[in-house]
Amino acid sequence: MSLVADLEAVLGKERVFSDPLRRHIYGKDSGIKRGDPTVVVLPETTAEVAEVVRVAARHDFPVIPRGAGTGLASGTISIGPSVMVVLTRMNRIVDIDAEGGTAWVEPGVVNVDLSARTAEFGLHFAPDPSSQTVSTIGGNVATGAGGPHCLAEGTTIGHILAIELVTADGEVVVIGSEAPDPIGLDLRAVVIGSEGTLGIVTRVLVKLIPNPQAVRTVLAAFEQIDDAAAAVSEIIAQGIVPAALEMIDHEMAIAIENFLHAGLPIQAGGLLLTDVSGHGASVDAELEAVERIMRDKGAFDIRTATDEKVRAELWRGRKSAFGAVSQMAPDYYLQDTSVPRTRLVEVISEVYEIARRHGLRMMNVFHAGDGNLHPMIAFDASEPGTLEHVEQASEEMLRVCVEAGGTLSGEHGIGLEKRDLMPLIYTDVDLDAQRQVKAAFDPGNRANPGKILPLEQP
Amino acid sequence: MTSLAVVRRHLAALVVEPFAGAPVGAIVVAPSTAEEAARVLRTAGEHHLTVVAWGGGTHQSYGGAVEPAIILSTRNLLGIDWQPDDLTVTVGAGVTVADLESRLGSGGQTAVLPEQPGVATLGGVIAAGVSGYRRLRYGPTRDRVLGATFVTGDGRVVKGRGKVVKNVAGYDVPRLLTGSLGRLGLITEITLKLWPVPASIATTHVDRPEEGHWYRPLAMLERNGHGTVVLGGHPEAIRADAPTHSPGAAWPEPIADAIRLEVRVPARHTRAAIGRIPDGWSYVAQLGVGTITVGMGTPDVDAVLELRRWAESTGGSLVIAAGNLPIDPWGTPPLSLYIQRRIVEAFDPHGIMAAGRLPGGL
Repeated sequence: MSLVADLEAVLGKERVFSDPLRRHIYGKDSGIKRGDPTVVVLPETTAEVAEVVRVAARHDFPVIPRGAGTGLASGTISIGPSVMVVLTRMNRIVDIDAEGGTAWVEPGVVNVDLSARTAEFGLHFAPDPSSQTVSTIGGNVATGAGGPHCLAEGTTIGHILAIELVTADGEVVVIGSEAPDPIGLDLRAVVIGSEGTLGIVTRVLVKLIPNPQAVRTVLAAFEQIDDAAAAVSEIIAQGIVPAALEMIDHEMAIAIENFLHAGLPIQAGGLLLTDVSGHGASVDAELEAVERIMRDKGAFDIRTATDEKVRAELWRGRKSAFGAVSQMAPDYYLQDTSVPRTRLVEVISEVYEIARRHGLRMMNVFHAGDGNLHPMIAFDASEPGTLEHVEQASEEMLRVCVEAGGTLSGEHGIGLEKRDLMPLIYTDVDLDAQRQVKAAFDPGNRANPGKILPLEQP
Repeated sequence: MTSLAVVRRHLAALVVEPFAGAPVGAIVVAPSTAEEAARVLRTAGEHHLTVVAWGGGTHQSYGGAVEPAIILSTRNLLGIDWQPDDLTVTVGAGVTVADLESRLGSGGQTAVLPEQPGVATLGGVIAAGVSGYRRLRYGPTRDRVLGATFVTGDGRVVKGRGKVVKNVAGYDVPRLLTGSLGRLGLITEITLKLWPVPASIATTHVDRPEEGHWYRPLAMLERNGHGTVVLGGHPEAIRADAPTHSPGAAWPEPIADAIRLEVRVPARHTRAAIGRIPDGWSYVAQLGVGTITVGMGTPDVDAVLELRRWAESTGGSLVIAAGNLPIDPWGTPPLSLYIQRRIVEAFDPHGIMAAGRLPGGL
């Protein structure tokens, strides 16, 4: 029987698609590359995923897991023929243990839906990528997603206790445990952030953490971005770890203001958005300390929110950054890289120089507290040669970041987009060791092949 | 000449005097660089000699027994590159936890490593995957491991991840090394994420710490029925949570019995685990975490096995951390053992690095 017929025997015709429209829709994620999966399937249980994977293996087709498709590194793009396993129908929150602060969830659960469900217990899932209203927990695990509030709580790696994984040969294994320090090698470490290359995650035990008793938000405007960066340094030097420390540069502030008309101080060289959260008895004292540092470092406009409504307004600008860029040009390219925090200012100015050289319009939002920057380039891909300039500028920006001691991705992943740049940060020996990890899980190289690791030269 | 004698001559420049407590008959080599360590491992591989990585020796009692021909000491791997403004530190594996934390503490920072480390080294703590009591607030040690350099069993120097706090480039090999008990190779250097020490730290003693209303305490502990809560944060917050407290962290006295177990259960079963500890045994329970360190004066294998059966029924484990008991040190191996075996065989193809130490005889 054909691949499609065999898959239909498992899932029925209504959850197996090989028509051109579906293949086109699932041919792309939020990155800039496109592929063409042979067939798209929508399993609803672990058993179905395992059966799909076995069918694909029998026909010698690779499998590519996909969540909501918000990935920015072209990590779910089909390279050649493939079976795309879309997990959005596996979206049940299976079990919440409020006392233990954990929940078993399926990979298709949307990030914000989980925290909304656990709010009644005063708990939440800490990683909060900007895509969180759409992106799924499975996708968060695949990329090792971060978000503004990972400054205080860490990225996804610290918030996943166990994973049910369907390997590329269709075996189901549970990795990790609700109990601390599961015995043996900690395979969770490599599965989280593996972008579907080690198997398909079908269930996740997440850690839930207590909601803060109180949150205050401060938006401070500085004349120079250096002053804003100095304020960040001083906050950290004083031993304060705010829940989030986000920077918006001058160009981005203008873009957001044109989009939202929210009255942002657009004359600012840099805006710093800070969440101070924690114990109800001390949050205002910490807020005062943060405001004092901002004033000392030259903030000329400080807006503070103590209630949810005003807080949401202050955050609206930051959260609208992508929308603001989308309305400036038909396409945008979002870079994700990470440098030692103390090198941020010099790196940003070099990044602007690169954009200028390529005649590109660029603006920046970044997680200033942990050195994770997100240059955004607004462009029109239909203009001949522009996309090439964007890609070239992007690579130059990465080189600058790596030279400053940084890395290729802070929270979006490597995927296909940055795969061939991995030798910038790893030697052949390092990469071979990573290939060995991949091969231990997937000896036949059938799980999302051709991602993360550069292809070996023949 | 025996192969060990040949190797001793070949590695003469790196051989040092055996230290007190070193396994009898083994030669001790102390490389100063990863490349020197790689030479040792390549030589050992050629001669099929078993190698054990050794820091302070604190955690050598974990796992299946190994009889090494070569002790690969980390005593000469001693660099510290501290970047306080970036909240990171890069450390040679042989640096002791006590030295590192004292250095970081002088600048108001901490790597949140075990609070009573004795002579343990950072390399040992990472290899054993052990955490301090403050993991309740900051997560296990593994969460702070940002990057590592290690030498595989066949003598390749491999670097994983890097020195920045946010990094998802490539597979997270450094965290895979955490808890691998030297089975994948010798860890030579580690980069850790740091935390500022809280403005104020205080201790309060209460019965049943888990029933109190504390806002994200550093630790909730119980030693032989005596509860301790350690709080960290703004002084106002501490006063609000614990009107009666004493300044500083008063950690419970460690379990000193020759036989020491670790019961690891889901956090909500910690109180039940305490209830199952036979009279006369001592324990330190980490409430909210699910780890109970248990000590016993005289061995009682049946009682240990019964406790293990129960711990495993909750999805947890019972691990022998120290002392000789005639039972498997780990208990039932994990389902993913076959994947673990492939990783071990790839990184240690000659099977010389502490073979048999991991669960399942791996």
